[in-house]
Amino acid sequence: MSRTLIVRLSATFLALGCAWVAYTQAPQGKQQAKQASNKLNKITDDLYEIEGDGGNVAVYITNEGVIVVDDKFEYDFNDIMAKIKSVTAQPVKYVLNTHHHGDHTGSNEHFLPTAEIISTANARKNMIDGKQPGAPRVVFTDETDVFLGGKQVQMRYFGRGHTNGDAMVYFPALRLLHTGDLVAGNSPLIDYGGGGSLKEWAATLDAAMKLDFDTMIPGHGPVGKKADMLTYRNNVEKLRTEVTGMIRQNKSRDEIAKVVEDKYGWAPTGLQFQRGFDGMLAELKR
Amino acid sequence: MKRTLSVRLFAGLLALTGAWVAYTQTPQGKQAPAQTKAPAPFNLIKIADDLYVIDGGGAGNVAVYITNEGVIMVDDKFEQHFDEIMANIKKVTSQPVKYILSTHYHADHSGGNTRWSSIAEIISTRNAHDGIVQHKQSNAPDNMIPARVTFTQETDLFLGGKEVRAKYYGRGHTNGDAFVYFPALKVLHTGDMFTSATPLIDYPGGGSLVEWTKTLDSVMSDKTLDFDTVIPGHGPVSKKADLLTYRNKAADMRTRVQTLIRQGKNQDDVAKFMTAEYSWQPGSLNMQWSLPGMMTELK
Repeated sequence: MSRTLIVRLSATFLALGCAWVAYTQAPQGKQQAKQASNKLNKITDDLYEIEGDGGNVAVYITNEGVIVVDDKFEYDFNDIMAKIKSVTAQPVKYVLNTHHHGDHTGSNEHFLPTAEIISTANARKNMIDGKQPGAPRVVFTDETDVFLGGKQVQMRYFGRGHTNGDAMVYFPALRLLHTGDLVAGNSPLIDYGGGGSLKEWAATLDAAMKLDFDTMIPGHGPVGKKADMLTYRNNVEKLRTEVTGMIRQNKSRDEIAKVVEDKYGWAPTGLQFQRGFDGMLAELKR
Repeated sequence: MKRTLSVRLFAGLLALTGAWVAYTQTPQGKQAPAQTKAPAPFNLIKIADDLYVIDGGGAGNVAVYITNEGVIMVDDKFEQHFDEIMANIKKVTSQPVKYILSTHYHADHSGGNTRWSSIAEIISTRNAHDGIVQHKQSNAPDNMIPARVTFTQETDLFLGGKEVRAKYYGRGHTNGDAFVYFPALKVLHTGDMFTSATPLIDYPGGGSLVEWTKTLDSVMSDKTLDFDTVIPGHGPVSKKADLLTYRNKAADMRTRVQTLIRQGKNQDDVAKFMTAEYSWQPGSLNMQWSLPGMMTELK
């Protein structure tokens, strides 16, 4: 499986890179007329990933129904359902939201009548505050487990990072972790408006890495391994350390912005800058 | 409303006490002769326009919270009570039951899962789930079904513009007791962490008398819990002050038993004391589940 996976990953890497760029650069409000463009990847016989628009979707098949992690944009609903139906006749029973952003919860409103949607309490609160449709009916604070068809899926809240309500979704039988946007692309998008924190981010990842897993589905980008999560975590710390250092040296806002652009790949008008830059400077000053 | 409630409560008190005695004294597997006695009748008690309690059947108090998107229930008694619970709910709403929050894994609170799980989402603590899967209750039926969704610390339900919160505060009756809070009504369902009887400590199910009062203290000092009315696991609807009284009695019982044990009294001596002072009957669940564990824990 690993070799096949690597080949697949290499093949799709460029496309995924583009998807991430699209995500970080395009504010959600302007995407409504878009057509769904996704691809179904098999990870195991009972676990598939749907990549393309918005966040990576995981599809876990049991003989009592399907458990889905995240549901992309609203316009992706029909395509998500078509892809699920291409591999199982089971109905979707649960949708687990990793966080509140519209590229991970956009199809909630379509799933809500027939499936149970679960998120952290903070993710739901952020959805309500942002007047997003399809807020979950069931929320948790620390940990929730779903037991379906003899299989188990565990959602955990490990602390702040991308937002103040990021859940990671663990599949113990597959030794697999869906990280949500706590791992996404190469450099973090810190949503300070949604309670995110660069200072807390690495500790949150450290806590998650205590779980026993090999395979990692990031929020955006190609499926990876636990080692890739460590690499990402170290890159988060490098960003924090470097920006903190520049702040201490009284570097200007523009000087810091240039380093973040050149060394960390933040697009000048992208969401990383819009949502993360000023908050990061303020947080790291303290 | 309050006066009506009081009248109802007094009227139902005797029957409820009888039901509780039946519960603690008759292991279910050996219940055949006891069944010939008149079963505790079902009563539908109104607490608010949208919250009712169903008592009866010698099983845990069921709470029924009505919203315009469906009903949220707390606990579902024994399997054989399904029809009676449904009939009582239909007296006050045509909404379907969407969720059941389980206070703990015992068959007189979660036995109905076998019938309800196909039509409602059942949510419990992870330990309550595991207690059913591992069949920790010696006298539970073999066909128990656990919740599909579990939590460790806290879960919140939002339905029809209303909120219900289930929270784990620590060990006591078992190692997985949830308290269910209705913020808009200032009502708390305690499960069997508070009943009209002395504490039944399910040591095989992870219970603890030492932790019990600490857990109740955590509940009563939780600033996010603002409640006046308390629905106990068994017994009449009560007030917050009654919960404090119960906590103090539990602490007193613990101190008295601990004193005896530390004086070197053996299990038989303590058993006689419990019968004389707390009406724990020989062969009761208290004697089976609680006494041996107390002898170890309170040493």
